[in-house]
Amino acid sequence: MSRLRYAAGRLLQSIPVVLGVITITFLLTDAIPGDPVSIMLGPSPSAQQAAAIRAKFGLDQPLHVRYVNYLIDVIRLDFGQSLYYGVPVTQKILERLPVTLLLLVSSFTFALVTAVPLGVISAKRRNKPTDHVSRIVALFGVSTPSFWIGLMLIILFAYKIRLFPATDLVMPWAHPSAVDGASTQLEVVLTALHHLVLPTITLGTLQMAAFTRIERSSMLEVLGQEYVKLARAYGVSEGKILRKHAFRNAQLPLITIVGLQLTQALGGAVLTETVFSINGMGRLIITAINNQDYLLVMGTTLMFGVVFVVGVIVTDLSYAYVDPRVSYDDTD
Amino acid sequence: MATDTSTSTKFDVRDAEAEEKVEARVGLRYTLSQVRRDPTALAGLFIIGLTTTVALIAFVDSTVFEQLSKIGFFANLGVEKYWLAKTFWYSPVHEPAGAEILRPPFGLTNELYPNRPGTLDHPLGTDHRGRDVLSRLFYGTQIAITVGIVSTGIAMILGTLVGAVAGYYGGWVDDALMRAAETLFAIPFLVLVIAFMTAFGRNLMFAMIGVGIATIPTFARLIRSRVLSVREEDFIEAARAAGVRDRNIILRHVVPNSFAPVLVQATLQVGINILIIAGLSFLGYGAQPPTPSWGQMLSSSRNYMLPNPWFSIWPGVAILVTVVGFNLLGDGLRDALDPRINN
Repeated sequence: MSRLRYAAGRLLQSIPVVLGVITITFLLTDAIPGDPVSIMLGPSPSAQQAAAIRAKFGLDQPLHVRYVNYLIDVIRLDFGQSLYYGVPVTQKILERLPVTLLLLVSSFTFALVTAVPLGVISAKRRNKPTDHVSRIVALFGVSTPSFWIGLMLIILFAYKIRLFPATDLVMPWAHPSAVDGASTQLEVVLTALHHLVLPTITLGTLQMAAFTRIERSSMLEVLGQEYVKLARAYGVSEGKILRKHAFRNAQLPLITIVGLQLTQALGGAVLTETVFSINGMGRLIITAINNQDYLLVMGTTLMFGVVFVVGVIVTDLSYAYVDPRVSYDDTD
Repeated sequence: MATDTSTSTKFDVRDAEAEEKVEARVGLRYTLSQVRRDPTALAGLFIIGLTTTVALIAFVDSTVFEQLSKIGFFANLGVEKYWLAKTFWYSPVHEPAGAEILRPPFGLTNELYPNRPGTLDHPLGTDHRGRDVLSRLFYGTQIAITVGIVSTGIAMILGTLVGAVAGYYGGWVDDALMRAAETLFAIPFLVLVIAFMTAFGRNLMFAMIGVGIATIPTFARLIRSRVLSVREEDFIEAARAAGVRDRNIILRHVVPNSFAPVLVQATLQVGINILIIAGLSFLGYGAQPPTPSWGQMLSSSRNYMLPNPWFSIWPGVAILVTVVGFNLLGDGLRDALDPRINN
């Protein structure tokens, strides 16, 4: 119960943050020079046409009126129409979001599956060759531009060896008839996975490296604790110390970072989607910004703001699962 | 001299001798001696020194030599052959007449020149307009180092101020500033910067300012957490009792005593910002052609990955090496400044 109350309290506290996200995005999109109406209607629209569009979208109103109107619409869960695409913002987001989510989930899975073992082994064999190799991999991982990794993978695996495709990402839930060379759903999923390999590595390498570094230093810290020394003094085997005593306690910093990285990884998604010509959220936002499609920009940033806020709260709550000593009775 | 007093409080139960030892483990001189002994930090320093030298060469080449050539300085001396942009390598900005485009690196061939391996004239080959890739990389170093340091400087100065004020005053000031920082975190970083640049200007200056502003929260949170502990120290109370104004307490006592982690973060942030701004240039924000920035080079190389893959390789290697340098130095500094790790 206290956990629920804690979550509710945190949600209330996040309202100013969400409001801030709306305000900043609103002001920024309004500051973009140029006229969204002329982008919609072409370079020289007739005066009546332009006026009609302005009135329809409320663009003829002053800034503060539009701002308040937008807030009211958001409370009513109405995010408006995309100026550029001419469809509801929600529809456009729902269309693009699954693509980016698929990319994020697969790259985070790749990052965690490789980083956790690497970090643990690195900490266990501190200053041994394995540790050095893993640290160098992590160092290069955080220092390499993700889009360049993408370009290198394309040159190597799509052009030279022709092992993995570089474009035409297929969604695993697509209908078999829409996918080349696939007759069953299973084949569609396999094709999708095949296409996902390069984008996943491109987007996931930075995360993998960052997670490895955190996992290693966190494991090292835990392994130096008194209770680990005690367990060692009692003759508990190293493997058991690692599994039973150290591992779980070392995961808190990693969980924090994974939570924080969720929205920030979208930046990487913008680049990855550009390199692999994937039509996801990242490219949608960029197109929207360039076309002054302010309702679409507002809708997408607002969505990511909410995802961020909820992500942070879920991260906080998951501490209790990993470390039962964490309690939520005392809200600060 | 500013010493890190907050760490010494952890050892207050020990005897005077141990106390003295702890005292000797902090401060600038100790940090420098640690850095000097740490191979990681030294490797980082070496790489940063190397890239800075390259950036300086490009700077001298593009400004000093240009001016000297204008006043006809080379005509009498016969040293014009040392002007990189003029002779040995093609101009990084102007397209030369009869340029050979997309030449492979020295000793190698590509699809366009199957029977003519690259020559020493263009050790790393040429780009899609026949410009020498190596000289453009040199000029790109200048840009990368500048944008990395300037954007980090903006974030560090503003973030330190915001964090110090928030942590020192606490209460509603703290709440308001930290909520604002959280708001900046809640908007995806790249989206925030791109929207900022679309609104104010698509060039390197606004890239630096945008990235600087967007990374303020990183420094603000860091310094705030330090200030919260430093604030409780006796010397702050003494200063307050002596009637020192809040502004001076923050600037003269609180900030200097919270500076060590900021220095570490700033070093790492230079590398991160170089990556971010390369990404922005790659997307078409940031440096515009013909400015020879690494991200922009990678962006134009995308169209020529099949005929000359080498063109895509070099700028990435340059970014990688530079960022590795700052990461190594940052890691080394952290080890040197955090006495816990050395124990």
